[in-house]
Amino acid sequence: MGASQVTAISCERVTKTYRHGFLQKKTKPALNDLSFSVNSGEVLGIIGPNGAGKSTIIKSIMGFIKPDQGNITINGIHSSNLESHAHIGYLSETPCLYKTLSLKDHLQFAARLAKLSKKETNKKIEEVIAKVDLPEAAHLPIGRYSKGMTQRAALAYALLLNPQILILDEPMSGLDPLGRSLVVDIIHEYNKRGNTILFCSHILSDVERICTRIGIMHEGRLATITSPTELNNMPELKNDKTTHLETLFLKTVKGTL
Amino acid sequence: MNTIIQVAALCYKESLRHKILYGVFTLSFTLMFFSLFISGLFMRDILKIILDICLSAITIGGLLVPFFMAINVVAADINQKTIYSILSRPVPRYSFIIGKFLGLTYLSFTIMGILTGMTLLTLWVASFLFQSHFLQTLSIPTVVMAIVMKTVAIMVLNSVALLWSIVTTSSFLATLLTVSTFLIGQTIEDVVRFISIEHVGVTFSPIINITTKVCLYLFPNLSAFNFNQHAAYGLPIPWLEILFSSLYGFTYISSILLLTVFFFNKRDLT
Repeated sequence: MGASQVTAISCERVTKTYRHGFLQKKTKPALNDLSFSVNSGEVLGIIGPNGAGKSTIIKSIMGFIKPDQGNITINGIHSSNLESHAHIGYLSETPCLYKTLSLKDHLQFAARLAKLSKKETNKKIEEVIAKVDLPEAAHLPIGRYSKGMTQRAALAYALLLNPQILILDEPMSGLDPLGRSLVVDIIHEYNKRGNTILFCSHILSDVERICTRIGIMHEGRLATITSPTELNNMPELKNDKTTHLETLFLKTVKGTL
Repeated sequence: MNTIIQVAALCYKESLRHKILYGVFTLSFTLMFFSLFISGLFMRDILKIILDICLSAITIGGLLVPFFMAINVVAADINQKTIYSILSRPVPRYSFIIGKFLGLTYLSFTIMGILTGMTLLTLWVASFLFQSHFLQTLSIPTVVMAIVMKTVAIMVLNSVALLWSIVTTSSFLATLLTVSTFLIGQTIEDVVRFISIEHVGVTFSPIINITTKVCLYLFPNLSAFNFNQHAAYGLPIPWLEILFSSLYGFTYISSILLLTVFFFNKRDLT
């Protein structure tokens, strides 16, 4: 088995129904018998309309949400086992950093959790701060950052320990074209080193640019999964007004595929 | 253990930067400062007035942590998604809760330490302003011990605030429940004592008796940590009472933290 065939993330028949309302009697299905896997070294992008279950599956992989049924493994370790988190970098939809603390405080926290030496900590912090281009702002509280800077700071926090797997939930949201280009470059560079990336986004052009495989989620299922090459070889998706991916996305969501 | 310490350190660092802390310190310092002037208006009980005001200021400062910080550190973490920055790392959920509790405990120690220092400074200034016989009943160890027990009460409330902020989904409701717990905890002993006394021509219904007994066991009895009167009159606090109150406090905290971890493990962080 080649290195690229090793499964980094595996989701098998994952089901999740949210309960809400008085006595949690109302239900809203979020994931419906969802199965997919991400091979080591690939970039899988998940797209889908709002409420399709993109964030739910990412949060389930991260262990923030407990699926009702199914099995999720990361590098062969069950997602409920914290060992599986040691190799993951995560960036959430809304940057999840403390506004009163600086980027450096956050990075130091992550380094201390990983029990890095002081020398190693400083080296890694300097590297990652330079990578996201925030050297002057690293000492400032996150509350003083612009949205784009906060997103880059959150990316630095995810990348600090050079995780084998990067899970990104809407990494481009709120970024200007420059910021987006920086993030795309980081993802490309990161993937070139053989790391795995799973990310979901609303921006189809970014997904097309970055991913080696693209999945379209609809009503809690992965309705389609394809690669950009396969996508471009589908003549039925040719359309003057939309790209191949946009056509595929619209057809999948409308159920006309 | 490392994860608990790191979460505690992060929580402490983050809480220290809340602007609300400065407001409460200003209020507490002002109260202590004015206690010197207010006590001068009384012919007797100068020490009692000073200590009453100082200990009240300490209570206000101390209650800031459970009422504002403890609820916010978890409820706001969940609402603002900052919890993901911690739990995306290999941090068990129990470490998150215990770490947050310890962080709040350090914060309470810091606040109580500073306010104790200010109280001692106020008493020192009072020793110059007033004749020595007004302060002859002053017992610094008793004052310090009363503040230490107050800190244990604050720790109990911190654990309760954490529980409410995990059980409920709104920080307003969590604040309301914590304040209610504080009010019940402050009065429950008096209510039970009042009901247990036989009143001529008055009988309490069994429901009231049962309800108060249930409240006594469920809610923290905060009167067990109140030694303000001992401090104000310089009365020695029996060591056995301190021991039993502390044991009660730490057992209560442990039980509440266990419950909090249990509920937190079940909760989806959407």
